Amino acid sequence: MLIPRRVKHRKQHHPGRTGAAKGGTRVTFGDYGIQAVEPAYVTNRQIESARIAMTRHIKRGGKVWINIYPDRPLTKKPAETRMGSGKGSPEWWIANVKPGRVMFELSGVPEPIAREAMRRAMHKLPMKCRFVRREEV
Amino acid sequence: MSEVRITAESRTEFGKGAARRIRRDKKVPAVLYGHGTDPRHISLPGHELMLALKTSNVLLTLDIDGKDELALPKDIQRDPIRGFLEHVDLVVVRRGEKVTVEIGVHLVGEAAPDTFVTTDLNSLSVEAEATNIPTGVDVSIEGLQVGAQIHAKDVTLPDGVTLVTDPEALVVNVTAATTAEEIEAELAEAEAEVGIVHEATDEEQAAQAEAAAEGGDESAAADAGDAEGDKADS
Repeated sequence: MLIPRRVKHRKQHHPGRTGAAKGGTRVTFGDYGIQAVEPAYVTNRQIESARIAMTRHIKRGGKVWINIYPDRPLTKKPAETRMGSGKGSPEWWIANVKPGRVMFELSGVPEPIAREAMRRAMHKLPMKCRFVRREEV
Repeated sequence: MSEVRITAESRTEFGKGAARRIRRDKKVPAVLYGHGTDPRHISLPGHELMLALKTSNVLLTLDIDGKDELALPKDIQRDPIRGFLEHVDLVVVRRGEKVTVEIGVHLVGEAAPDTFVTTDLNSLSVEAEATNIPTGVDVSIEGLQVGAQIHAKDVTLPDGVTLVTDPEALVVNVTAATTAEEIEAELAEAEAEVGIVHEATDEEQAAQAEAAAEGGDESAAADAGDAEGDKADS
């Protein structure tokens, strides 16, 4: 699973969820991609599950790119704890995904297979997504 | 090479307010520059421009206040979610002039079995006559074996087109495809880490039930044999 090796600050503020993606909005490496349509925090487990679902479907012959990285920690206070006494302990690693961001890319498979593989991967992600193709130059 | 004629209007007011008014009128703000001329701010009809830009490196003949101007799209800004055109940069060209543009690489044919073809360069930078820009270049990968590589210098370009990209740049790389066992091992490890447990499929369940039944028969037979032996002993 994707986890940062070393971070400057163990606990961070919650990342902002407003606005659209400023970059990474086009398919650049592969032929097809999954684009986020809504903002969401995507955990490293969700990223890995989506990758596994995609790879399981294409079996062999394809290549998968992951364009997002879960580099922001989210904390959680234990259950039945009174408020105060400092910030909770890090619980999840998330990627802050804004609408328009192409999160996964795929190449080396025919389009119907890519569509189905990405449909399966989209079910593992916490936001509405859509299938996109690389723009012709 | 297609040539599209579009009527453009000069813009007199600028800024986001004016640009948004133009977009509300189903037009696209654009800027035209090149050949040492001052940049000219224009607006173009949205639908016609969208259809024209479906062709890569389309040559536009702009009718700006009664004067014709040839232009090529240099930069296209689109809304990342809804996809409509937000702004277009156009560069002035002259007939017969050579221009540097990006053309797409299209793979043709099938490589040898058990190989994986990676396109490292999806477009090539080439110099061509402005009125005769190729839409793309076909690269044949028919029968390529593991380890085969196609560099930019190996790509056959149409007549009158010269390569600008580094000739040694890798365009296509053919590697050995990963085996099913390798993928299965990698996925099993990844699934164990995430904690994914697979439910047995109907076929697997049937096979397990069959195996259990066979095992049960054998053990029953063995038990019967033992019982007979015991009787004989007594």
